[in-house]
Formats: sequence, structure tokens, C-alpha cells
Amino acid sequence: MSFVKPVLVAAALGSVLLATACAGGTNANPAPTLTGPTTVRLITHDSFAVSDALIADLKAKTGITLEVATGGDAGQVVASAILSAGAPTGDVLFGVDNNLVAKAIDAGVFESYVSPNTGNVIPSLRDDTSEGKVTPIDYGDVCINMDTAWFSKHGIAQPRSLEDLTKPEYKDLLVVEDPGTSSPGQAFLLATISRYNDGWKDYWAKLRANGVKVAGSWTDAYEGSYTSGGGNGDRPLVVSYATSPPAEIVYAADPKPTKPYSTVLTDGCYRQVEYAGVLAGTQNTAGAQTVINWLLSPAVQADIPLSMFVFPALAGVIPPKVFADFAAPVKDPLQIPARDVAEKQSQWLDEWGQVMGR
Amino acid sequence: MIPLAFLLAFLLLPLIVLLLRTWSGEGTRVLSEATTWQIASLSALQATVSTVLSLALGLPIAAVVSRYAFRGRAFVQALITVPFVMPTVVVAMAFRSLLGSSLPQGFLIVVLAHAYVNLAVVVRIVGAQWAQQDDRYVRAARTLGASPVTAFRTITLPYLRPSIIASAVVVFIFSFTSLGIIVLLGDSSTRTLESQILRRTSVLLDFPAAAALAVLQLVVICVVIAIGAAASRQRGRQRPVRSALIAMPARIGARMTIRLVAIITCAIVLLPVIALLEASVSSRAGFTSQWWTSINAIDAGTTRIGSPVASLLQSVQFALLTGVVAGIIGGCAALAVLAHRWGRFVAVAAVVPLGISAATLGLGMLLAFGRPPVDLRSTGLLIPLAHSLVAVPLVVAVIAPALRGVDPRVTDVAATLGARPTRAFFTAYGSTLRTVMLAAGGLACAVSLGEFGAASFLARTGSPTVPIQIVRLLSRPGEQAYGVAAVMSVILIAVTLALVLAVDRLGRRTGALRTSY
Repeated sequence: MSFVKPVLVAAALGSVLLATACAGGTNANPAPTLTGPTTVRLITHDSFAVSDALIADLKAKTGITLEVATGGDAGQVVASAILSAGAPTGDVLFGVDNNLVAKAIDAGVFESYVSPNTGNVIPSLRDDTSEGKVTPIDYGDVCINMDTAWFSKHGIAQPRSLEDLTKPEYKDLLVVEDPGTSSPGQAFLLATISRYNDGWKDYWAKLRANGVKVAGSWTDAYEGSYTSGGGNGDRPLVVSYATSPPAEIVYAADPKPTKPYSTVLTDGCYRQVEYAGVLAGTQNTAGAQTVINWLLSPAVQADIPLSMFVFPALAGVIPPKVFADFAAPVKDPLQIPARDVAEKQSQWLDEWGQVMGR
Repeated sequence: MIPLAFLLAFLLLPLIVLLLRTWSGEGTRVLSEATTWQIASLSALQATVSTVLSLALGLPIAAVVSRYAFRGRAFVQALITVPFVMPTVVVAMAFRSLLGSSLPQGFLIVVLAHAYVNLAVVVRIVGAQWAQQDDRYVRAARTLGASPVTAFRTITLPYLRPSIIASAVVVFIFSFTSLGIIVLLGDSSTRTLESQILRRTSVLLDFPAAAALAVLQLVVICVVIAIGAAASRQRGRQRPVRSALIAMPARIGARMTIRLVAIITCAIVLLPVIALLEASVSSRAGFTSQWWTSINAIDAGTTRIGSPVASLLQSVQFALLTGVVAGIIGGCAALAVLAHRWGRFVAVAAVVPLGISAATLGLGMLLAFGRPPVDLRSTGLLIPLAHSLVAVPLVVAVIAPALRGVDPRVTDVAATLGARPTRAFFTAYGSTLRTVMLAAGGLACAVSLGEFGAASFLARTGSPTVPIQIVRLLSRPGEQAYGVAAVMSVILIAVTLALVLAVDRLGRRTGALRTSY
């Protein structure tokens, strides 16, 4: 009984707000037009970026005004999308990765649509699109970064494999992110599971005995503990990305260095693929599909490396020079099928917590 | 009625929407897990220690800064607000670079960081009441032979009781529901329910369990608030003097003590700030000014989610909106506390939003007001509203104890002397109300400037707030990102200082119009 009144008051207030929102000319309920000018709202994570010229180009060619709405990291965005499945807060979602995509699909977040250009995507990235709900847009590899100068200064050879990290000469040198709170941290855990299968817990027990440090987030690990990060770190090995070295150059102080400070350990990298999909329940399906095709167009794909520091999914896109020179090519990245991740993730995280005493 | 309607519409509705969407009996399984209760009791211990530490640091500072007239007082008072608005990730980075090698991750560094961040809560809430205390009561006691300690124990402490308890409750809640500091500086001994809620929500996508944990957290917070409300029953009411500062004492020892406390306060607050300042002018090659001169150059030409400068303007706008909304709503709520039969209930209910997890609040608001039929995102109101919900409890916590400290018989006296009811009311409460409402408004602005949790969920189409921008910059490699993040932190601190100084000055000016007697 006590609930009746609040709900009525809230509903009354809600309708007043609705009235003002409409009167204010906001596009609360866009008409589902297939042609002519229209606004498409792209829901994405805080790391999304693309050159302004390409958005202007999209408008010139299709009449679509792209409205970018960012809402936290990939996990937060997908969580919001799942909770609003069927009555979405936008038209298109970009940024769901292979570790989250199965749960999003199961929750009915996406309408069936795959860009016709998906046929030109690098073959290994197409695995998880068989359900016809999402289109791969980019990929990145989570790899261990090594502070080149630190190793030469201390006269220690850089590690060459995951196995090396458990050796005594690398004691107390590695910092990783907690897989329970960090996306690269989780990718590194999955890499070890993919590599060692049932032996992954033993591997982590050895890492722990060898003094691995666990940080709460990528920022804490890289900027706080990594010797080549922003702070006064004391660990020359960190879990980061294969594209971190080119970022070190692009975002360096002037004059730019000729070489990055970090090198990448290309063994034991985990591949993350980011997808885009049409949000189920959108009033603007045609516009949403157009935006997905635009994301996979050669122009946007060529822009992706320097905007978001990941690799384009489309095959044959020529990378910018700093990528060609310094982004580490990873030959055999580790990966676990999205379905398996969705099913076992919770159990793996619990077991990791037990092994690491966290 | 206004505060009630506000709470119902913007707090209850989102929560109901979210709970209806996520609640299922299956989620309650987490309540039978031993880990959950272990986390709850450990974080209760952590929050208690953090609260005691905050009070131990904050009370001496409040005693000096809110009462004595010394040069630089206004600046010190504003400075104390700075840690409160620093984004937790920035506090964590600063603490790491200051104490990183001497203190390992875990309990000690977490409670120190909590005490640092919450200093402003204690100093503002207790200080607002302490500033109103009529010095003559203490002097009378001293004349009658009471030692300073006895006078403090028998006169001042009972007088301050409501505000001390109010601030303790707020600090406890902030520490119990802490997230950023826990993730960045904590270890397994400092996990909070809030960190588990976020993990269940955005990593495991296990919403029923997150909902069950959010409800558990809310229940704990409600219990704490109820205990606080029961404990804060006013003993001796005193007629407050009108916001006049006490002149510096004549004795040299007392003067030195006051100055020393002020200097130590500045040192405590500024040490981490200096670490940030240093980072904002450093590169690998040594000193550089390029992060300052080219702040807007980072990612220029791309649809980054907003330039650093646009973020600053956005944040200031949100802060002012929040200050006004929270000031009015909180002021009304505080008045209702006095005027209404159910006043105590309002006072208690207004603090409850602090116990609602930021993730829950953000998601709930997004679901309730972020899509048709009610889509407030394009209006830019969603984030100020979320910030107001967080700020209103603080506003009430500042205003209500100070108002309750006023002797209501003054109203009767004024009425006897022929004043009409409103006039009588303002004679009794007017000056106190003005002073504390401005103090509270400043705190609300500060909350908005520093808030990260709830806002990060609210998908925005405009520029992100400064804390979100800083976190975004800090989440990628390259020294430019790190340098610009440090620059933005320093600017955020400067803006906060300026804003709070301006509000405090406004408060002093209105106060100064009235002569003290």
C-alpha cells in the first residue's frame, strides 16, 4: 500500500518531465524513416574515438547525424544494454568484445544484422559472428610489455615466453591486473587458461611464488607500477597491449622519440575482438545498419589504429607508419570461444581468487 | 513536500525500475555465501577505523579553522574541500607516488586515503555548528572554575554532538560504500560490497546477485543511519552567536597552536597535490610546460568524447546546477526537519541515498530517464540530478544539526515581543540558516565536481565530466595522456578552491551584515 503513492507521484512527475522534454524539441521518439535526414545514437564505451571528418562524411553521404553516447567501460556499457534490452537507450552499440558478446546475444540485446562487408574481414575474426547478430570492427592483443631500457641496464635478458615469467631471474618483476576488475587482466587470465588448460592454476601458483604483483586496474598497473609508466613504478614487466609501444610514440612529449620505450612479449597474447550490433527495439533500424556498414568501411577502418589504438578488422587496410614500425605482430594469439568464456568465467575468477589469496 | 517529491521521483523510481528488472530469488544465493558476510564485516571494520581517523584529524582542524580569525583562514577552509573532490583515481595515484614504497596495498593505506578524502565532511559539518557556538558558555564555565578539558567535555561536546554524529555517519557510509580507492589501493582485506556490486554488474553481468548485494548494502546503511539518528538526540540547546569569529587569543602559546594546526592542515592536504603538480610539468626529458600549453591538443580532430576544456566547462556547469538544486532541496528538507512532526523521519530519509550504490543509482537512472518515454539525456539534466541525489544528504547533514542547535525559545521570545511567526522564525534561525546553506551549497558543488561512479554509467551525448575525462586519459599509454590528466587534476583542484572560496566569502558577507553582540 505504501508503494502506491510514491509511484503515482513519480508517474505524475515523469509525465510532466516528458511533456517538457518533448516541448524542448528533443528527439524522444524519432520516426522510423528510411530516407532523409535522421539521427542515429551510437552507444559506446569511453575509449571510442573516430576522426570528425568521417562523421561529417557520413552525414554528407547518408544524411545521418551520428550522436555518440558514451557510458563507462565496455562492461558498464554492455550491462546497461542488457538491462535495457528491447527498449534500448540508443540505436547501435559498438564496443562489445568477445568476452561479453555471448551474454549480450543471449539477453536479446541485438537485432539480427551483419554488415555485408563482413566477408572481407580477416577470417579468424569471423568465428563469433555465426549467430548473425554482430559485426567485427576491430581487434587488439593483450600482451606483456617490457621496459627495454630497464633490462639492458640491469643486464638481464628479456623473457621470451609465459613460462619464463616463473623463473627466478624474473622474480618480483611482473605486475598484472586483477581479472575480476580489469579487462586486460581478464584477457591475461584467459591467455593462461588457453595455454595451460587444466594446469593454469599451477602456473598462477608459480607466478605468485615468483612475486607477481596484482593491481586493481590497467591504470594502476601501467601508470603506477610499470617502470616505464607515468609514476615511479618498480616493475619492468606489465600486462598491456601489443599497440602500447606505438602509443608511447604518438603521445610522447615533443620532440618525439625515434623508438618506443617498451617491447612486446609476443608469446602468450590474448586476442580481443570488438563488435558492433543493431540494438533490438530501435526505431531506426535502417539508420543503425547504415552506421554499422560505415564502421566497417575502408575509410573508418583506416582511421581506427590512430584513434583507438587497435587494429582494423577489415583485411588489407594499410596501417599507419607508426603501427607498421612498432606495433608487435602477434602470430598465434590465444583465444577461448565466446560461449566457453560466458559459461565458465565466474568459476575461473573464483578459482583465480583462491589461488592468489584475493 | 518538495524534498519528498524529489526523492520519490528521482531516487525511488529508478530504484524500483532497476529492481523490477533485475530482482529474482535466485540472486539471494549470494546472501548465503560466506564471502559476502566476510566482506560485509571486514568493510564495517574498515569503515569504523576510517571514521575514527577522520574525526581524530578533522575535529582539531574544525576547532581552529571554523572558529578563530587568523590570516589565511578562508583559504585553509576552502583547501580542506579539495581532497573531497579529487577523483579517487587521482587520490590513489597521488598516494601511490607519496607512500608507494613505504606502505603496501591494503588496510592501512585504504583507511588513510579515506581519512584524507573525508576530512572535508568532518570539518564542514562539525565546523558549521561549531562556528555558531556562543563562546560565553565556555567562558562562563571557565570562570566558574572548570578546566579547559572539563569545559569542553561538559559544554562544547554535548553542543556538537549532533554534528559529530552526523559527520561520523556520513564518513562511515562513504568508507563502507567506497569503490575507487578500494579497487586501486586495496587488497583482499578491504573489499567492499560496492566493489562486489560493480564486479557482478559489469564484469560477471550477474544482475540478480548485484541487486541482492545492493539491497544488503542499503539495509546496512539504513541501520547505521537509524543508530546515528537515535544517538544524536540533542541534550543542551544553546543560543548560537551569530557567525562571528573569535579573535586570536592573546597568549602566545595558544596562538602558536592555532597557527601550527593550520599549517599542518595545509601540509596534509597539499602533499598529494604537490605530487600532481609535479606530474603536470614533467616528462621523461625533465621539466616541460607542453602539457599545460597544449592541453586541448590531445586527440584534436577526432571525436574524442569532448576536449579537456569542454569537460571543464561542463563540470562547472553541472556543479553550479547541483549546488542550486541540492541547496534548495536540502534546505527545504532541513527546514522540514525542524517544522514538521515527521521531521526526524525526513532527516533520516534524506541521508539514505548515500547508501545506494553508485552503480545501482547510475543504472537505475539510465533505465528510468535515459530512454523513451522519458529521455533526459539530451537535456543535460541527468548527471546534475544524479549528483544532486548524492549531494542532498550532505546538505541536510550540514544544515540540520546546526538548526537543531538553535534554542527554539528564541522564536517564542521574538513572538512575545510582537514579531509575526515568519519574522520570529527568521529572527531565531535566519543567520544560522544563511551561513549553513551556503556552506552546504559549496559542499554540493564540490560533490558534483568530483563525482565519478554514478555519472560514468549515464551514457552522455555531451562532454564528459572532468573526473570521467581524467580516468579516460589515465587508461591509455603515453606520457601526454598522463601529463594532461595531471594538468586536469590540478585545474579541477584550482576550480574547486575558487568555487568554495567564493561561496564562503558570500556566506561571510551576509553574515557580516549582522552585528555580533
